[in-house]
Amino acid sequence: MEVQYINPFISAMNKTLETMLGILPKRGQPYLKNNKITEGDISGLIGFAEKNIIGSVAISFPQETALFVYEKMTGDKLTTLNRDVQDSIGELANIVAGSAKTILSGKGLSFHISIPTVIVGKNHHISHKAETPIVVIPFHLQDFTFIMEVTMKISKQLSD
Amino acid sequence: MKILVVDDSITMRRIIVNHLKQGGYNNVIEAGNGVEAISHMAGVDLLLTDWNMPVMDGLTLVKEIRKSPTFSSVPIIMITTEGAKAEVLEALKNGVNDYIVKPFSKGTLAEKIQKVME
Repeated sequence: MEVQYINPFISAMNKTLETMLGILPKRGQPYLKNNKITEGDISGLIGFAEKNIIGSVAISFPQETALFVYEKMTGDKLTTLNRDVQDSIGELANIVAGSAKTILSGKGLSFHISIPTVIVGKNHHISHKAETPIVVIPFHLQDFTFIMEVTMKISKQLSD
Repeated sequence: MKILVVDDSITMRRIIVNHLKQGGYNNVIEAGNGVEAISHMAGVDLLLTDWNMPVMDGLTLVKEIRKSPTFSSVPIIMITTEGAKAEVLEALKNGVNDYIVKPFSKGTLAEKIQKVME
């Protein structure tokens, strides 16, 4: 995966959290994922596809980060990853994927995104469909951490 | 003013309702898809709807409202992740009064409501 395909997802994440939570996350050093296990307790997964494109983005949070994000989004303090928190993580993944899709469509790359899937559990597996390297981008959100995984197989180049 | 908020995400409905109440709009009802929305339209002065929803999506809802003899003049703001130019134009062509791309701020929502209700 090339940087030009990753950056729209990072921009989308920054814009989404800054707008919805009032906090600009700090990005860590991206790395390639070398197994299927995800570090978080809850993940929101969105797939995308078109004739020349297949890929997915997942956002994975430790429980304490997910609860912090939920409280910042809604004003409500919860203590477990219940259905409301699961919905919020799915919606967050949806907004980040949609925002990245908008950026990429402006560069001539159009695709449809799926409805979000939410996975809960320690050391859960995420099956990304595209058989391409998965880039993991770590983020800090004040004292909390989370990661975003992105993979995309493209057989068409972006326009400038 | 009675406002109907339509979104399949309970989180997004909560965010929008919180923004509306902070802006002084206290008469707010909610629906999780287009079919539910149609059954809640009586007395609604403003409709805020998502696009991608199960059962009936937001664009179909807009088309149904615009051909309804009773509700066709109700202002509609679409609030969606669909931000590509072609999609915005399609929504406007089908009768949406204004369009907000997620993520959005409380200020953007207030401005758009003020504009369509003028």
